[in-house]
Amino acid sequence: MRVYQVPQHTFLLLVGGALLAAAPHLLMGPTWLRILLPVLLLARILIQRGRLAMPGRVIRVVLLLGVVLGTLYTHGTVLGPEAGTCLLVAAFGLKTLEMFRLRDAYVLLVLGYFVLATTFLFFQGPLAALYVFAAMVLLTAALVGINRPETGARSRTHLRLASVMVLQALPLMVLLFVLVPRIAPLWALEFQKEGARTGMSDSMAPGEVSRLTESTALAFRVEFDGPVPSPAERYWRGLTYSLFDGRRWSQATPGGLPRPELVVYPGQPSAPWHEQLLAQRAAAEQVGSELVYRYRVVQEASRRPWLYTLAVPFVREPTRGIGQVRDFRLVSEDDITQRYAYTVESYPLLTAAVGLPDWERDFNLALPEQGNPRSRRLAQRWLDEANGDVESYALRVLTHFRQEAFYYTLEPPLLGSNTVDEFLFDTRRGFCEHYASAFAFMMRAAGVPARIVAGYQGGELNPVGNHLRVHQYHAHAWTEIWIEGRGWVEFDPTGAVAPERIEQGMDRFLGREMGALENLFSGAAFSRNPLLARMRNSLDYLQFSWQKWVLGYDQTSQLAFLQRWLKDVSPLRIGLALLIGVVVMLLPVALWVLLRQRGPQRSPLQREYRALRRQLLRSGIPVSGSQPPRALSAAVAQACPPATDAIRAWVSQYEQAVYAEQADAQAVQRLRRLRRTLRWRLRRSAVTA
Amino acid sequence: MQKLHDALERVGKVVLGKDEQIRLAVACMLARGHLLIEDLPGMGKTTLAHALSRIFSLDYQRVQFTSDMLPADILGVSVFDPESRRFELRKGPVFTQLLLADEINRATPKTQSALLEAMEEGQVTQDGESRPLPEPFFVVATQNPLDQGGTFPLPESQLDRFLMRISLGYPAPEAEMALLRAGDLRERALDMTPALTVAELMALMAEVEQVHASDDLLDYLQRLLEHSRGCGWFAAGLSPRAGLGVLRAARAWALLDKRKYVIPEDIQAVLKPVCEHRLQSAAGGAAGGSASRLLEAVPVVL
Repeated sequence: MRVYQVPQHTFLLLVGGALLAAAPHLLMGPTWLRILLPVLLLARILIQRGRLAMPGRVIRVVLLLGVVLGTLYTHGTVLGPEAGTCLLVAAFGLKTLEMFRLRDAYVLLVLGYFVLATTFLFFQGPLAALYVFAAMVLLTAALVGINRPETGARSRTHLRLASVMVLQALPLMVLLFVLVPRIAPLWALEFQKEGARTGMSDSMAPGEVSRLTESTALAFRVEFDGPVPSPAERYWRGLTYSLFDGRRWSQATPGGLPRPELVVYPGQPSAPWHEQLLAQRAAAEQVGSELVYRYRVVQEASRRPWLYTLAVPFVREPTRGIGQVRDFRLVSEDDITQRYAYTVESYPLLTAAVGLPDWERDFNLALPEQGNPRSRRLAQRWLDEANGDVESYALRVLTHFRQEAFYYTLEPPLLGSNTVDEFLFDTRRGFCEHYASAFAFMMRAAGVPARIVAGYQGGELNPVGNHLRVHQYHAHAWTEIWIEGRGWVEFDPTGAVAPERIEQGMDRFLGREMGALENLFSGAAFSRNPLLARMRNSLDYLQFSWQKWVLGYDQTSQLAFLQRWLKDVSPLRIGLALLIGVVVMLLPVALWVLLRQRGPQRSPLQREYRALRRQLLRSGIPVSGSQPPRALSAAVAQACPPATDAIRAWVSQYEQAVYAEQADAQAVQRLRRLRRTLRWRLRRSAVTA
Repeated sequence: MQKLHDALERVGKVVLGKDEQIRLAVACMLARGHLLIEDLPGMGKTTLAHALSRIFSLDYQRVQFTSDMLPADILGVSVFDPESRRFELRKGPVFTQLLLADEINRATPKTQSALLEAMEEGQVTQDGESRPLPEPFFVVATQNPLDQGGTFPLPESQLDRFLMRISLGYPAPEAEMALLRAGDLRERALDMTPALTVAELMALMAEVEQVHASDDLLDYLQRLLEHSRGCGWFAAGLSPRAGLGVLRAARAWALLDKRKYVIPEDIQAVLKPVCEHRLQSAAGGAAGGSASRLLEAVPVVL
């Protein structure tokens, strides 16, 4: 059997395309795959050079078995997105060694496109899209190449043609992207939960939030409709902790309560507190004087259900799956496993709206029976000094933090069993969770309902897109206490100890205090160089826009979009819209092609010939394009004898110029003059006739 | 040049009323091409061949092809000479300057193909020894289109070796009257005095190659060829060899018109004799009138 030989001019494109298609998977895949694929491609190059023979059936079967076993070893299965792509990429590599016919090359290239598409399972950024685009050009060029087996062809021309083709496909791609309905189950693949979840957890012990600050990962981005609030107002509430076991604060609710008492989802049974909250909001809206923040959050995947909002949040348009929680939070019904966007209105002044029923009061006062005796005594004393006034008591505690030698640090000492006592009286060094925990304890010990709020504080403003970037190192914990008449009031003891942390933001704090985050991409490192900072901000803006417009265009927003433009979203309408879009796109192309075909490149002499023919036709002398010059001459001589001399002179001039190629610069002018004479003769004879 | 027109005129006196065909036949020779004359018996095919050989003072051999003919009958045989104790070639009729192959389609394919090498290469190979044929070497073959019993139609490959195929047709009434009055013209053809020497003919053949063909003209020719391939009328379009043949014939035609450059009229004049025998209609069978269809479909100037 004659083995198919990839044309030399295409081979590099083929191997390059294969490498580019597989490269993102090598980045993520197991080590054996990282070694195997380059080796396979190298072998392929040696085969092409004739140094190696195509492997036989036995070797191929062994390799295939090895790949399957390797996948099983790494992933424990051959199903699922990770294992599946691993197997696919490995099989793709093996296919390069099984190229006996042209058909095999086709299979390899089509597989290449498929491998390329799976890149989007793992990377969805604008850079990934650009990369896939480039790889697609290479694969298409290879496809062009194997269809042009002649030896003279050059890879550069293949590349050019492929680029043009892919670019031409771009508008069509956009159209399909906008119109074709998303098929959810295909992409809603269940990924293995690899690595720890980053971000907040549902409980907090001293030292846990400070660990988060080591991460520069993005938590979410926010875009404000209106002015961006000042740093001191940016308290992104994610969850509240009400249960304290002496060391750990955790999110818990008293048992036996019906769910609507705590969280209300749209379309599900409501509760009185929720009605009340909505009524207050409506009232505030009517007055119009109320301060409102309107913003849109694009949250990174956290594998947790919590959404991050300011003050008292409401989803702008009630969205399925987003519930309103009694403690002024929004929560998603499912974990956020991919980027998720939601639009929020926040009312800072509605903190008293839901009231404080007895069960909630008790719950937010509960302390362990034992422990921290010194703190309890101190709390009682200060409460007496304040004559039972809650606000002045709270301020007294904050003053204590401010005036005594408390330090705000990322590396606090470990605490023993009486965490609050040890912190307040001995170590006096802590991060936000220490202060929040101590403050809440002091409040509860004095009979003031208090809870801890965890979330993020601040955010880095990107001046390019005028949006906020909130990173994991913005993680923060603070407290809220119930003050009769004012509702839940926010108290941030960290602000008392390290006001610059709140006012200037964590970025400055980290940059100055620590120089710690050596990660190049942290805002702290970048803020020193204005040019770098600007580049980083622009890139960030690009990513954010990409998320909003490309990744954010999911099933829901697509449906909303289609409803706005098509009114009634039916397959027929979508099909019609697609058809119209394609026609609108292809019509100019078709016209252009037609026009180009009509007008080949013509020399001045050829144009002169056509002009003459048109003139004869106008004078009613039937001449066809297939008649040579002398036949024209004969036709004219027959139809109009007086013009015979003129046409003969023209024809002989034309023959001299075009066929004898003895034309000089004036040939065209001479022909034109002769043609004018001819026209005059023809007209005169027409008049006399 | 004048002698050439003299020659044309003199041949015209022997083959009456066939000026166009005579001109084509001479153009074919000037273009170093072989000629196939397809016509019924008695139309003057042989007379034309005679006249052409005489007028250019060429050696002339006539072979009447039959079905029992062998290649050796044309090429010659090796005979053992007892005196010199060696084989010596008895040259066949092919060793001449103008070979009239009468009724070529009566011979077996084997014999036909013996002629093939001679026509294409200008040489004959026998017993592994190649012998050149005299210069110039023309084959004028005739065949009878109607009487197909016991014939071997020439395959395409062999048809392709003939630059032109012409047919004479019945003479016009006046020409026939003149013919009847003059009696047997064949005799007169054999008695004709040459108008050109072989050297002069060769010089003219060299001159044909100098005739200029401009890019515009080549473009026209190329579009004709391309149309024959793309139009779907024919089983297969014209080959590049056919294109070269048209160009050579057109050059010769231009020279006969005393021009040093080719014009589209030359192409149009020779397209039918050069191409029609190379084309088969897509439906099968000969493609009659194909040349004029092509000419009508393709504009002379874009």
